[in-house]
Amino acid sequence: MNKFALGCGVLIAILLFVVVVAAIAIGGSYNRLVRLQQAVDQSWAQVQNVYQRRADLIPNLVNTVSGAANFEKSTLVEVTNARASVGRVQMQLDPNKAPADAAQLAQFQAAQGQLSNALSRLLLVSERYPELKANQNFLSLQAQLEGTENRISVERGNFNKTVQDYNVAVRSLPTNLIAGMLGFPPRPFFTAQPGADKPPPVQFNFSSPAPAPAATAAP
Amino acid sequence: MPNQPRRSRLILPSRSEHAIRLFLAALTLLAISANAADVIPATPSAYFNDYAGVVSKEAASRFNEQLAQFERDTSDQVVVAVFPKMQSDSDIADYTQRVAQAWGVGQKERRNGVVLFVFIEDRKVIIQVGYGLEGALPDATAFDITERHIKPLFRAGNYEAGLATGIDLICKAIRGEHKGFGKTAAERQSGGGVFSLLPFIIFIIVLIIISRVIRKAGGYSYSSRGGGPVFIPSGGGWSSGGGSSSGGGFSGFSGGGGSFGGGGAGSSW
Repeated sequence: MNKFALGCGVLIAILLFVVVVAAIAIGGSYNRLVRLQQAVDQSWAQVQNVYQRRADLIPNLVNTVSGAANFEKSTLVEVTNARASVGRVQMQLDPNKAPADAAQLAQFQAAQGQLSNALSRLLLVSERYPELKANQNFLSLQAQLEGTENRISVERGNFNKTVQDYNVAVRSLPTNLIAGMLGFPPRPFFTAQPGADKPPPVQFNFSSPAPAPAATAAP
Repeated sequence: MPNQPRRSRLILPSRSEHAIRLFLAALTLLAISANAADVIPATPSAYFNDYAGVVSKEAASRFNEQLAQFERDTSDQVVVAVFPKMQSDSDIADYTQRVAQAWGVGQKERRNGVVLFVFIEDRKVIIQVGYGLEGALPDATAFDITERHIKPLFRAGNYEAGLATGIDLICKAIRGEHKGFGKTAAERQSGGGVFSLLPFIIFIIVLIIISRVIRKAGGYSYSSRGGGPVFIPSGGGWSSGGGSSSGGGFSGFSGGGGSFGGGGAGSSW
């Protein structure tokens, strides 16, 4: 009887110990996952920030360029349309959370890529207008646009890095059991599209016309 | 005889052999790409770094002192790096952003670093602006500085004047954005060094006192030794030169952990 009680007590103590250890482990992993997820969402916010910065530059750019005498209208229309389609894609995304669906992110990336192509074509065409090249406003816009493209590439890189950290945690062994139970799916990241992994070539002193933007142009 | 095992090895596990070959190929590719990949130069120890030797010694130390003083006044860290050639195949903006980030120019919280990169053989100049100064030194201003002020002087071969103008204009643009601490990050660090030595110094002093007391007591009681110190060698010459790390008026640079997001602009001359 006494022995049985003692055995029971020991068993309960062991069970309790196991439960406590498991709870601590789960709690620790959970907190780590939350922290990593926060980092992903934060870097996603930065990505959107810099893309928004580019979108905000466009009306000004279009206005300045269209002021030039008989500027090619088709390139302007293309830029405006691409910007509008980016806006439509962005409407479907949750602004506070990084996309969990790979297809959604791919759509976002494709829309932004199209805008990048349209913009680089616009700048390419503007090379033919000497009055634009002498326009201070245009030159300053060009510098801002170039800087924004650099920022986009930096923030996309940062985003991919945080997603990678998160995905490694979600998929590696002790954590992945908990991640599955508590709903931490792996996140998609930006993939290198042909020509989209680098800022589009915004060059202003060509000796020969660059065929690259036209070649990588999406449908 | 030696043919036999070799053959079987070639034929039997053809799949794993294939995998190994693929792996080896991948390794070689990795090695090649690592070779071709860019070199992030070591963090400089000065504000003004002329690795290409285009500026006189006096001018270099003058620029360095100017930039150190600027950090004391404003806490903004402005670093100039003149390289003979870019050690990378990637885009200049991308490469220099990574270098500036690796150097950690600027204070960590304020993220207020600016790096002016010059690559002499590539004939390229670029200003990298830390996150915290993108408002004070926007891309358009940075472009104006490189394009309209630095470029003409560089084109004429007058690197010293071009750099002087660039430094002045960058400092002018960002002055007033932050208040300084009166010290550079390097100076504050060495100050911290003295502080961390403090317990040790106190310990030594206590030891000296104890040794004196013991010696005195020893003298009165029974020791016949000639009062030699117990713990500390005679002479009492414990001094480490005051811990002055920055000798000769040179102000060293030490990155504060600032970060860069690709702001800034550049030109080629």
